Amino acid sequence: MLNTGTNSAMAEFSALVDFSKLINSSLDLSLSLNNILLTSLSKFHTTRGLIALTDKNSQLIVKASKGFTPQLLEQFPKVSIHQCSDHEAFAAFMQNTRTVVCREISFSGENRGVIILGSRLGGNEYTNSDLEFLDTLLNLGASAIENSLNFEEMKRLNKDLDTRINQLSSLFDLGKEFSGILEVSTVTRLLTFSIIGQLLVSKYAIITFGQDGYNVLDTKIQADLLENWLGRIKPEDITEPLSLDSAGIDLPEKVELVIPMQIKGETKGIILLGKRINGKEFSRTDIEFAYSVGSLAIISIENSRLFQEALEKQRLEKDLEIARNIQQNLLPKKLPRMKKFEIASYNKSARQVGGDYFDVIKLDSARTLIAIADVSGKGVQAALLMANLQAFLKSMCKKFGEISEATGLINDLVTENIIIGSFITFFWGILDEENSTFTYVNAGHNPPLLLREGTITKLKLGGMILGIIPTMAPYALETVELKPGDALLLFTDGVTEAMSAGGVEYSDERLEELLINYSPNSTSSELIEKIKSDIELFTRGAVQSDDITMLAMKAL
Amino acid sequence: MADFNINVRGVGSVDVIDLHGYLDAHTAPDLENAFNRLINDGKYKVVVNFDHLKYISSAGLGVFMAYVETMRDNKGDIKFSNMKENVYNIFDLLGFPMLYEFFEKEHEAVNKFTD
Repeated sequence: MLNTGTNSAMAEFSALVDFSKLINSSLDLSLSLNNILLTSLSKFHTTRGLIALTDKNSQLIVKASKGFTPQLLEQFPKVSIHQCSDHEAFAAFMQNTRTVVCREISFSGENRGVIILGSRLGGNEYTNSDLEFLDTLLNLGASAIENSLNFEEMKRLNKDLDTRINQLSSLFDLGKEFSGILEVSTVTRLLTFSIIGQLLVSKYAIITFGQDGYNVLDTKIQADLLENWLGRIKPEDITEPLSLDSAGIDLPEKVELVIPMQIKGETKGIILLGKRINGKEFSRTDIEFAYSVGSLAIISIENSRLFQEALEKQRLEKDLEIARNIQQNLLPKKLPRMKKFEIASYNKSARQVGGDYFDVIKLDSARTLIAIADVSGKGVQAALLMANLQAFLKSMCKKFGEISEATGLINDLVTENIIIGSFITFFWGILDEENSTFTYVNAGHNPPLLLREGTITKLKLGGMILGIIPTMAPYALETVELKPGDALLLFTDGVTEAMSAGGVEYSDERLEELLINYSPNSTSSELIEKIKSDIELFTRGAVQSDDITMLAMKAL
Repeated sequence: MADFNINVRGVGSVDVIDLHGYLDAHTAPDLENAFNRLINDGKYKVVVNFDHLKYISSAGLGVFMAYVETMRDNKGDIKFSNMKENVYNIFDLLGFPMLYEFFEKEHEAVNKFTD
């Protein structure tokens, strides 16, 4: 017959076997710890117990507990396993929670945690054999705890690896997508989706830096806070990911991380990230992910910008080509012949088309209209205005007796149709072969030069430039007589303002001097040729900045 | 190019979005358009049925993040159903289960709105 002592030893033994079987069949840490606690509570008839294990820094962290309120657990002191046996806070915690037993749990030859148990119901002290039983229990349990911990660590590493793989596949996915030419808004959306999807943030901002300062592409951060902050920072200050902990950086409220978007080491944009919704910190791989996505995106944004620029440039070139064609088609292809006058013209467009216009129109057998104008502005706009002017001029010149009256009407028409700020300098006149006269109106154009026997007269009379205000006072006209040998030169400011490589203007004086010294025997085309070559000599090495137009006439 | 398409159908007061194929950076804008149309129509109770979805990338996940706030602000939500394990694992990896409700069957998700 077995005595009671043997009975209780058998019971203890079978309890330990059961415990060992159960605990070693699971890799779940909380299940193992729970089992140790529940077995202890039932064996020793106590109502509370806890197990704390060490973290990486040997500090004790409560991993499982029974019979403690959350308030009591909060009081568990921050102590290292090496200090707990003689730590005051630790002793105080045990006293406050009426726990009386503290035994170490060790595995792999190291102390890795403690179990703390409350006093026994009924007031019995823990006996030596109780403590021996507890130690046996802990020895059996230790390997299970160790296995569970290793398993958890492996799970964590696996999860990290999965996250990394997932991030890489996201990057690959975006890389494919960003390699095409996309609208900036599309790139921004994809960047936003990837970052908020991968990192679980809801507060963010995506900003690019350009020559005109910053540009907020997308944001979920309060605008004034963001702008205030952006006003204070410089792109070159942000060369690596910066978090709240980085020294010497202040961030807008609710922003925890700033990621630069760089091209060849230059910061062209930034991504601001707020708190993660799952409450976790940004890990190193999260930051690397955001940095990589940002770099892909900024290259795509830059490509898109360059592409738009190229398109715009192409459009402008096309625009200029159209303008040049319009302008060239407006100019007379052939000049009419006259009996008593001989006439020649020259027109050369600058690369940036200006608005020089001239025309020679035979009105009847005796009279010929000569006009020259400079339309302000460039490109298609100037060319269309010029076409308008020509239409007004052609419809007007045959109807009106006096060109002074016609000038007033043209000014009204131009003023009505012009874009504010544009204008036309305009000169026109009628050559009369019967009377050998020239009747002209000058509306703000460079005065044509009349050369007679080595003396120059400037044809200035007329009135306001066209297109500024409606006609208030009538334009004046003047009639001059032309004698054989007289020469008349009409020109635009492209002649007198032709620029030398040194930045000096050709000038009225130089033109007048050249005209005075011009041989009375040469033809008008010879005169134009002479001025042209002199301008070419003067501007050698410089780029032609404005259209050059000349119209020369000689009385025979 | 991977296939992707979206079908939106009404089930009572709830709208169910069926996703087919591959949801990645390239196809994410399609899903975005679907959400924009629902919001324009004042429909905020949405169940996304993943039964025929083969793959999802983080850009795809981002779309759900971008629209869930609007839905919830208007007494609606985005709930997920019929997710294959490989797709669920990605949601799980990135911590979505603490922010969204996942259901085995579509009708469970729909009923959650109507209960």
